[in-house]
Formats: sequence, C-alpha cells, structure tokens
Amino acid sequence: MAKTSEELMALIDKIPDEPAKSGEFILPELMAIQIAHQVRNDDIVFAGTGLPMVGIMTANMLNAPNALLIYEAGICDGKTMHVPMSVCDQRAANMSSSLGGLVDTFGFFLQQGFVSLGFLGGAAIDKYGGVNVTSIGDYWSPAHRFTGSGGNSDIGTLSKRVAYIILQEKRRFLERNEYTTTPGWWCWDFKKNEWRPKKEVWKGTPYADSGPVAVVTNMGVYKFDDKGEIFLETFHPGVTVEQIKENCGFDLNVKNVKGETKPPTYRELFVLREFVDAELIFLPQKVEYPASIQKIING
Amino acid sequence: MLKRGATKKARVMSLEEAVKTFIKDGCMIGFGGFTGFNRNPTAVAWEMVRQGVKDLHVMDRHGSVCTWMLNAVGAIKIYETDWMGWGEMAGKLDVNLERNYKAGKMILEDYSHGAMAMRFLAGAIGAPFIPYYAPLGSDLYNPKYDALGRAGLRGKNPKIPKLKFQEMADPFFGAGNVMLLPAARLDVAVIHVAQCGEKGTARWRGIGTIDKEICFAADKVIVVCEELVPEAELRKNPENNQIPYFVVDAIVECPWGGYPSSVPFYYDYDAPFMRVMDVASRNTEDLKKWVDDWVRGPKTWEEVMTKVGAKRLLDLKADSVTGYSTRIMRGKKPAPRMKMPLSVARSGY
Repeated sequence: MAKTSEELMALIDKIPDEPAKSGEFILPELMAIQIAHQVRNDDIVFAGTGLPMVGIMTANMLNAPNALLIYEAGICDGKTMHVPMSVCDQRAANMSSSLGGLVDTFGFFLQQGFVSLGFLGGAAIDKYGGVNVTSIGDYWSPAHRFTGSGGNSDIGTLSKRVAYIILQEKRRFLERNEYTTTPGWWCWDFKKNEWRPKKEVWKGTPYADSGPVAVVTNMGVYKFDDKGEIFLETFHPGVTVEQIKENCGFDLNVKNVKGETKPPTYRELFVLREFVDAELIFLPQKVEYPASIQKIING
Repeated sequence: MLKRGATKKARVMSLEEAVKTFIKDGCMIGFGGFTGFNRNPTAVAWEMVRQGVKDLHVMDRHGSVCTWMLNAVGAIKIYETDWMGWGEMAGKLDVNLERNYKAGKMILEDYSHGAMAMRFLAGAIGAPFIPYYAPLGSDLYNPKYDALGRAGLRGKNPKIPKLKFQEMADPFFGAGNVMLLPAARLDVAVIHVAQCGEKGTARWRGIGTIDKEICFAADKVIVVCEELVPEAELRKNPENNQIPYFVVDAIVECPWGGYPSSVPFYYDYDAPFMRVMDVASRNTEDLKKWVDDWVRGPKTWEEVMTKVGAKRLLDLKADSVTGYSTRIMRGKKPAPRMKMPLSVARSGY
C-alpha cells in the first residue's frame, strides 16, 4: 500500500542526513541539491523555470524553510505542493502571501532591491559570469537563435547574489560571449567603447556590487574571485579536473579546488523525490533507494 | 486612436465579430496571460488565423500559444518582445519562429522581461517613457542592435518610438546611469479572464501578469471570458475585479477559450497537448498538418474542444480548492494528494 504524503512527511527526520553513495543518485538530483545549497534561510529568491525552480523549492523544504520564493509572473512566497511547469503555474501560487503581476515582481520586489538571490539558466557563460541566452553567431543572421532574455538580464543584474545553472561544454564556457544578454563582473561599456569592470560601469547605481557568485554545471561547482573571475571550487563525483578543463573554452583557474562536490544526502533525495518532483516532470526517472533507506520508508 | 475623456461602450459579440471588428492587418497587438501556461486568449488567435489576419506587429513580454499559432502561418511580421519561447517545460523555444526569423521573414526586437513590463506600465499610465535600471553592458542596449531602427521603421508609425532606449544619468539623486524606455502602446489588447459582466467589468483569479497594463496601454480592448455574468454580481465584491468596464470594447464569452493554457479555478494547462504542438513545429509539413487539423478543420471553437474530447477535459477540470487539476498526468507519475505543502509543514506560519 503506497504511503500518503502525510505519512511520508512524518518520515523525513528519520531518513539519515548522510551522503548517498555513487550509483544511488543521478546527476540532475545532484545538481538540484547543489542549487538548494546556495539558498540561505533568510533569502528572498527569484528563480527561473526549470532546474533552478526545482532546486529552490527543495531548499524551501529543507535547509531554507523561511526563504521567500518569488515567481516571475507575480507570485510572492508561493508554497508549492506540486512542482510548477512554469513561473506562472497556479501550483506556484499556492498559499502565497500575495499575487500580483510583472510590475510587482520586477518593480516592487526586484528593482526595489529586495531580492537577495537570483537563480537562472543560461546557454553560454563567459569568464566573468556574463551570460548569453540570445543568439550564437552574428546577431542579425545567427546560427542559433534562442529565446532571448526573458527575466534573465533583469534578475541576473538586480539581485544581490546571482547563481547560474549551465550545461558545461567547451562552446558554452567562453572567454567572451558573442552576445551578452546578462553582464557579469566585467562588461562592455557602450559609452566608452571598452571592456570594463561592472562595478565601474554601474557606479552610483544601487546594484554596482551585485552579480554572479556561483555556477552549477553537470561537471562541477564554480565561484568567483575578487577580480570577478570564475574558478572551479568542486568537481562532481566521477569527473576529473582535467575533464573539466577540456570542457572549458578558456584557461580555467583550478588553483582553489576544494575537492569533490558533496553528494546529496538520503534525506535531501527523499524530499526531492517524494515532495518536489514526485510526478517525474524534471527528473528523468525514479531512482531506487538503497535497502536500508527503503526499510525506513516501509516502516 | 485612444479616445480619452470618455467611457467606452463595450459590446458583447461573437469571436468572429470581435476579430473582424478590431483586429486589422498590420496592427500592433498584445496578448494577456503568461507564456503558454496561463490565461492565453487562444480562441482569438485561432480565429485570427482562420480570418487570415497578417503582417502583425506583436508587442508582448513573451510568446504564448497565441504567438505560436500566428507564427505557424507566418502572420507575425514584427515581434517586439523579450522571450521568444512559448511553452517553457512543454516546448521552450518556438522552433518555427526561429526558422522564420533565420529565413528573414520577420523582425525581432529584443528587450528584457522587466523592461517590457515597465514599458507597458508607462503605456498604461500615459507616461511617454519610464526610467528603469535595465542592465548596462548588456547587448540588449548595444546601440548597434536596434532592429526596428535598422529596418527603417522608427519615426513613421506614431506608436513606434523614435529610439529603442536612451541612457541617462539620474538627474535627481545621482544614482548612476539609468535607461529610459519608451512606453509600449498598442492598437489592440486581448485578454482572457474568468468572468466578465455585460458592461465589461472583468475578473480573473490567480496571477495578474500584465493584463491590466496592456488593457490601459491599448486603443481597443477585447476581453474573452469563461463566463459572461450579470454586471451587478461582480459589483457585490468589487475588490475582486481588476479591469474597470470603461476601457473594454468587446466582450466575448468563450468557455475553454484559453485552452491549452490554464484558467485558474476553471481548468489546467494541457502539457501533453503542448508537447505535441512543439513536436509538430519541428518541420514545416507537420506544422501545416497541425494547423489544418486543429485550426482550419474545426468550424467553431466548440468543435475544437469536442475534438480534444470529454475525457481530457474532465482530467483538466480545476479543483475548486487549489485552482488546478491533480488528475491530469503531466509527467511520468500521477500527482500525489496533499493537504499541506511541506515547506509550510516544516516552517509553519
């Protein structure tokens, strides 16, 4: 007999908060939990559709229960029971504090400076955390035309801290983007016609010190140094630093590597699988729990 | 032009009549709702395709089922927006749009979501422009990348601003450089709501996205509703109404007219149907067949819904408590029944 959600909820604290072993979880799960770890308990979070949304929801159910989640279409502090497929999904509006529209989210919340963490995706990223979600090749006759900014450039510059999730490939990790949708710590100054630190270009605005702090990929987790340059912090289990360097289009700083990315814990996986994406919309499959954990679940 | 200083007299009309009366070739139009998922005025776009409306200048924050359908027949000439996708997790990029754009069949003008929201706010409150901390250093504000300017379209149509943006130092507080963005002004706004009174007062449930702003930024406003209700009923709880009647020109009652997007507390979005649309758009023949099957084939919107089938509609019917359906299969497993979100159970209020 399958357990009800309430019965499963009562089990959470009984599931050990110990790292799962290799083979007991899949990469998207590791990535979602890594996103969750970026969220602090007092954060106001503005995240994009997809894995960022899944990750911040997981955080809200685990390490950051008091974090306030903003969903782009007008939702303030949505408390979801079922994973939304869009930032306008009525599922995301569940038990929210207030509902409004885009002027609320981008104006009242974001430009007003309330958002402490933005979590976004990207098609390509540069050495200083500048992101391209617009086009590859010549802007006017692109080889690939993507969706374009959406909220990426707003959330990615007006949130205090910004984190990205990006698929790591040589052509996506670049010295300089062909098109910068969302500037990172260095950006083009169109007035002076030169490449300058963001802090100088944005000088005087309330957002000069806001910008990217972390990047999660399928291969590792990255942070940014004082100069605004990205560096590798941890590599995912089964991935080598050498492989990561091969999948990077510039000379990556690997001098500050702390070691392997911490695998998700059984408790984190339990919450992700049973409460965040029980419908298997984002996660490709349901992974079996090891016997010791399944025994706890079965009671 | 927008007639100021007078109330409009909204008329209840059919879908066919509303499109014929208010949506002309080449007009500047915006659709309400959010992406392909929430309160898309799908039935209006469907009728526009059937009537062969063309050369549209769509000004919108992002794509939707409406723009997907109009793109499918090449009806959009200028697309001024910030997100060319439409289906998020059920088909992110409008593949056919990318194809049309790369073939040089349309003009894309890029902004960002916040920027378009602010432009519509300016349009709605009658301001000519609005300052916004749009990202300095983003190619969105690269002076070289002005698509409408490049096409020689600025300064001709009075609704197309003379500049894409203007950077300016904050003259009042000295807080850095800020971008002045031109007001977004539309010929026609189309929104889909839950209820509308016969005078035009309109009400939705759930999020508002930018529906109120686009209505006030447009010369003509078409409100499509799930239910046409007595105006007097809506006046009993006016705090739940969002659109005052005096901006509305046409009221169309069209149940399930937002399908396959959701109308909160009425029905959920049909993600499997949207995935099929996405797959069809991947090659032009499949896309043409989809348009023949779903747009040109059925004679009325009721016939479209009959073709979707009663079983699917029952699955999509929203729960009266949550406003969405827990019966529709969105992923590989059914939705669990839940009484309380885990985040609330663990943090409390």
